[in-house]
Amino acid sequence: MSYGQKVDIIDIDYSWGLANYVRAIDGVYLVTLFKSVVISIITTALCLLIAIPVAFYISFSSTKIKSILLVSILLPLWTNLLIRTYSLIAILRTKGHVNNTLESLWESANHVLNFFRLASYNFIGESFIPLSLMHNNFSVILGLCYIYVPFVIIPIYLVLEKIDRNMLEAAYDLGANHKIVFFKIIIPNISVGITSGIILVFIPCLGSFIIPELLGGADSQMIGNIIERQFKSANDWPFGSALSFILIYITIIILGVRYVYSKLYSRLYPGNIS
Amino acid sequence: MPLNSLAKNHNELNFYNWDDYIGENTLSDFANSEGVKTNIDFFADNDELFSKLREGNPGYDIIVPSDIYVEKMVKAGMLERINQDKILNMGNIDEKFLNPVFDPNRDYSIPYMWGTIGIGYDKKRVHTDPDSWSHMYDSKVYSGNISLLSEATDVIACALKYLGYSANTKNAKEYKEAEELLIAQKKHIKVFAEDNGQDLLASGDVILAQEYNGDIAQVMLEDDNISYIVPKEGSIIWEDCLCIPKDAPHRDNAHKFINFILRADIGAELADYIQYATPNRAARELMDDNYKSNPAIFPPDETVRLCENMLYQGEEVSRMIQDTWTRVLAS
Amino acid sequence: MSARMRHFTPINYTKNSALKLITLVFLIILYLPIINLIVFSFNDSKRNIVWRGFTSKYYEKLFENEMLFVAFSNSITIAIISTIISTFLGLTTAIALWKFNFYLKKYYDIALLFPIIIPEICMGISMLVFFSYISWPNFQLWPLSLSSIIIAHVSFIFPFVAIIIRARLSMLNSEILEAGQDLGANRYQVVRKIIVPFVNPALVASFLLAFTLSLDDFVVTFFTSGPNSVTLPVKIYSMVRFGVSPEINAISTLLILIIIICTYFAIKFLSKSNRELMK
Repeated sequence: MSYGQKVDIIDIDYSWGLANYVRAIDGVYLVTLFKSVVISIITTALCLLIAIPVAFYISFSSTKIKSILLVSILLPLWTNLLIRTYSLIAILRTKGHVNNTLESLWESANHVLNFFRLASYNFIGESFIPLSLMHNNFSVILGLCYIYVPFVIIPIYLVLEKIDRNMLEAAYDLGANHKIVFFKIIIPNISVGITSGIILVFIPCLGSFIIPELLGGADSQMIGNIIERQFKSANDWPFGSALSFILIYITIIILGVRYVYSKLYSRLYPGNIS
Repeated sequence: MPLNSLAKNHNELNFYNWDDYIGENTLSDFANSEGVKTNIDFFADNDELFSKLREGNPGYDIIVPSDIYVEKMVKAGMLERINQDKILNMGNIDEKFLNPVFDPNRDYSIPYMWGTIGIGYDKKRVHTDPDSWSHMYDSKVYSGNISLLSEATDVIACALKYLGYSANTKNAKEYKEAEELLIAQKKHIKVFAEDNGQDLLASGDVILAQEYNGDIAQVMLEDDNISYIVPKEGSIIWEDCLCIPKDAPHRDNAHKFINFILRADIGAELADYIQYATPNRAARELMDDNYKSNPAIFPPDETVRLCENMLYQGEEVSRMIQDTWTRVLAS
Repeated sequence: MSARMRHFTPINYTKNSALKLITLVFLIILYLPIINLIVFSFNDSKRNIVWRGFTSKYYEKLFENEMLFVAFSNSITIAIISTIISTFLGLTTAIALWKFNFYLKKYYDIALLFPIIIPEICMGISMLVFFSYISWPNFQLWPLSLSSIIIAHVSFIFPFVAIIIRARLSMLNSEILEAGQDLGANRYQVVRKIIVPFVNPALVASFLLAFTLSLDDFVVTFFTSGPNSVTLPVKIYSMVRFGVSPEINAISTLLILIIIICTYFAIKFLSKSNRELMK
């Protein structure tokens, strides 16, 4: 469909033209695309940063605690995405829970200062200024992380589970410290899980539109929003498909780069099991 | 779809509606009076409705598109002509609504509810009543405390109104001006809200919210500090209509349903529940003064005269609007 | 097996306080919105903005709301059926990709990622066009009316399952399979006795993941649903215009409660059977 041309309200002319792709190589779309890639990379990195330690903790817990932890990570996913996002808004907004908590902390601090007759020095500012946690790119990244972290934890946990504990033990016996064990043994061994995790997060992030729409501000348009608009209000399905396919090509290129890299890596370090 | 006819059941009606946009007892009353069981399914916006029916009707009998979409769907041949001889209660409709630009003579649509786009605001935090679009589109007084809608056509149309042009202009230069206005104002705008401006207003996140009157009216019920105004430059007037999509399996029941909705008592019940302006004159007369004199529901006549219905301008203009909007958001 | 091994290896990262802290903070943040949701299901206001006093009326309303229950049961039915099918498909696909080297395998590998890469809305529209192109009939009868949604769900969920199971399979030494075959196991026995037990944790995890994906999907469902197949997400998203009602909070709370209870019994049952095995 992406090669077709829209001719009337609902008619599409399947003409195998490249006009839609040419239209897509416009500054506006490229800038937005670049921005979406950056946001997705940051989100994926943050997700990994959170997921690895958590997956670690889970995989070394006792069987009972392990199952409780696993279920509690999946449990929030059973609540509708929209509902969770609305709850997140309730927490982050100007008069949300975070700011309310900070405000009451500020007030009690002020009381304490008052008690010592120090309030007039304005150590902590004249009045409480709420943090703006909503409607900016920060909230978009936070929201995306919140939604997608469980999708990274699970695959990493599954491979961590399989690492031979004796190997770690042996490494420590041979004098390795935590850092060496982590980077030389654990990371290479869980790289498959990390890759799956990255795929499961980076790609959906790149195409996401609900989170940027609800949590983002005036500046948070992502490529997913543009694509969604082509299919909905713009009613231009061919162009929407063209943009989607550009997204697909980019993802495949990124995956291809990773594939080549891992090939090179295994040639350089033939001893690794990864 | 051809196989639809296999699954036809004569005593049913498949109603495709916005959520919470029908009286609490309307459907059961309809079942009692006409013996037709109604299945209801929901969509969240006109675009979804349009995309869903674009490739053929999956079996709906009654849909509720807004004005511009009625026009689009008529042009695309997606609607069934309504047989007005079967709608005995046609006379209850206010004559103002009998010959709209988007559907002359009401061949394809029956008005359901109508309203305006305006500014919802927090009475305690504004300096003066925001009676002009300039407070939203061309001022930094409320910087960081403004929410606009996220629908390209609505936002740009209101910008055009502010600039003194028609909301339905085809002039590329006027769109360019609107684009420049929006890009310049963007840094003062907190968010382009996906139809939840009323929540942002109620939670204190914004002071001015561009919204549909009905949404603001709902939060006004719970919060006395919130008010609604249609700016003096005029605005957009919208109208939701009942229509029968092409190849509807139960056309007779659909006509019965439309006739039923137009009954004065049913119309009043609907208006009472939804709290939107009803185009049904007979029903309006049955309502109490609280409803009839609510400025958020019925703006003064002189304001309404300045407002315009959105019209379908052809694909080229739609694309111009969408491209403008993409550039505004990406800037 | 791991329990026995831990006996010999004193490594226990759970004692590491930094790890403990991260996990704890993570769980708290993960649950803040959920707690907020539960609290506000008791809020005496039509909108979830300001706290206006305690009420349980939304739970009472919930039980009178037939529409929500229809939507809820549709969602659950779709989720169960499509999860079972996609877990099976995902497992077989993962095994095929891991074990066999066939023509165009590399491309199949990438093609498998397509349903994940394609933006949801594009996927949904393609499904809409597809079903209308092949004139998929609109069944009025209950479970059949969900068929198009189920087909659509399976097609975008099973790649997720396949990816997770494959990550796990990659750690299985394929020589074990050959050993099994040498010892006289046929193919099905190999799958049942060696592969399935090995990927079991991944199987359970992807089963749960598939269930959540299906239960929570809006976009694809929207474009493939017909007049008789409202699901919970479709209902919820359509509420955006007039504000999401606290009834939804109430039904989500109930769902969470049900899952917690089920999990509790499942864990209890599992640990009991584990103990019996130990004897």
